[in-house]
Amino acid sequence: MGSVFQFGTFIFSIISFLIVFLIIQRFAFKPLAKMLEQRRKHVESQIADAEKSREEAASLLAEQRKLLEEARKEAKNLLDAARVRADEQAREILQRAEEEASRILEQNRAAIVRERDEALAAVTNRVAELSVELTAKLLHNHVSPELHKEMVDEAEKRLGELVC
Amino acid sequence: MPIFPTLFPGTLWQTNVTVIATIFLTGLIVFVVLRVGLRRMDMRRPRGLQNFIEWAAEFTTNMARETTPTEQTTNFVLPLAFVMLLFLFVANWLGLIATVTVHFNPNIHIWGLTPSDLANSKGDVELFDSPTSNMSMALGLAVMVWIISHARGLRHPKQWLKHFYSPSPLAVIEEITNPLTHGMRLYGNIFAGEALLSIMLRAPFAFHWLPWQLPLIVVWLLYSCFIASIQAYVFTILMCLYVGNKSFEGHANH
Repeated sequence: MGSVFQFGTFIFSIISFLIVFLIIQRFAFKPLAKMLEQRRKHVESQIADAEKSREEAASLLAEQRKLLEEARKEAKNLLDAARVRADEQAREILQRAEEEASRILEQNRAAIVRERDEALAAVTNRVAELSVELTAKLLHNHVSPELHKEMVDEAEKRLGELVC
Repeated sequence: MPIFPTLFPGTLWQTNVTVIATIFLTGLIVFVVLRVGLRRMDMRRPRGLQNFIEWAAEFTTNMARETTPTEQTTNFVLPLAFVMLLFLFVANWLGLIATVTVHFNPNIHIWGLTPSDLANSKGDVELFDSPTSNMSMALGLAVMVWIISHARGLRHPKQWLKHFYSPSPLAVIEEITNPLTHGMRLYGNIFAGEALLSIMLRAPFAFHWLPWQLPLIVVWLLYSCFIASIQAYVFTILMCLYVGNKSFEGHANH
């Protein structure tokens, strides 16, 4: 009888299958489909997020690289400037030191000259006096004070000419 | 020729109770398996049975996508295809796993069967079998698909009318042959497998002790299992194809 067409079996099979289908669809397939859809969306959004953050990271990296480059350049500039200034300063200091040294040398030389002159003058005076005294002693007080003075002057003058 | 418990015997509405009962049993098995598999449904960590169910859903989606013209049609046919695939898979296997036959004294009125029916089947009444090994049931499914596909086609009545004669008027013949072959193919394959199995099982041993049919039964059983799975797939993919052919929402192929 399975191979004879029965209208009742035919109709009730369709109805039974539809009932079964509706129940399975409502209580088993729908939650599954919902979950799959949810997962699809989740994965999609995750991929989009990942792409976005990768782009962001790349742009950040580029920016950082640029900043680093700039900083390096700036440091180099600063260093160069500092070096130039230091060189200048060193030169200036050196120059000033040389000037100071030469000034001190000059001063000292002048002082030496002056002292020598002074010493010479003192020595000349002393020698003149001694010579006059000696002469006076030799001449046994035959010399007036006027003459004495004149002779001292004379002696000093001669001595000065002699020395210089 | 096996007979079945019958409702409304002798009328137009004569109904095979075994078929209806096994349809509901198959539905129950599918439903329980799905519910158990999706019991702790987890979007992030699918495990165990959920993996299998997701694979089945994926498989059905790909199948529907390949055979229907638009995403809209795919979404329309997808639940039906998913349920149909699992349903037919279980239904086709039922009769291979077990058939139940009770034997009656062929002189009684029982379950809508007359003594002459019982005499015809030597008193054997089948209580459990594949629902798809019944011709009326298989044709019922095919006609249901046919009606669904035309109901969908009628959303665009002009194109629906046009498609009967547009490429060639022979398309009208297809409207009869398609559901007929659709149903008969399923019925024929399943029925043949089970019929041959039952014949071999009932065959007498050689010399009353040598079970000569045992290797044949094993081979035929394996082949029938293969056929049962394939037929579930074939019926479902043809269903998608027929519904897709009658969907006229523009043929923007995806």
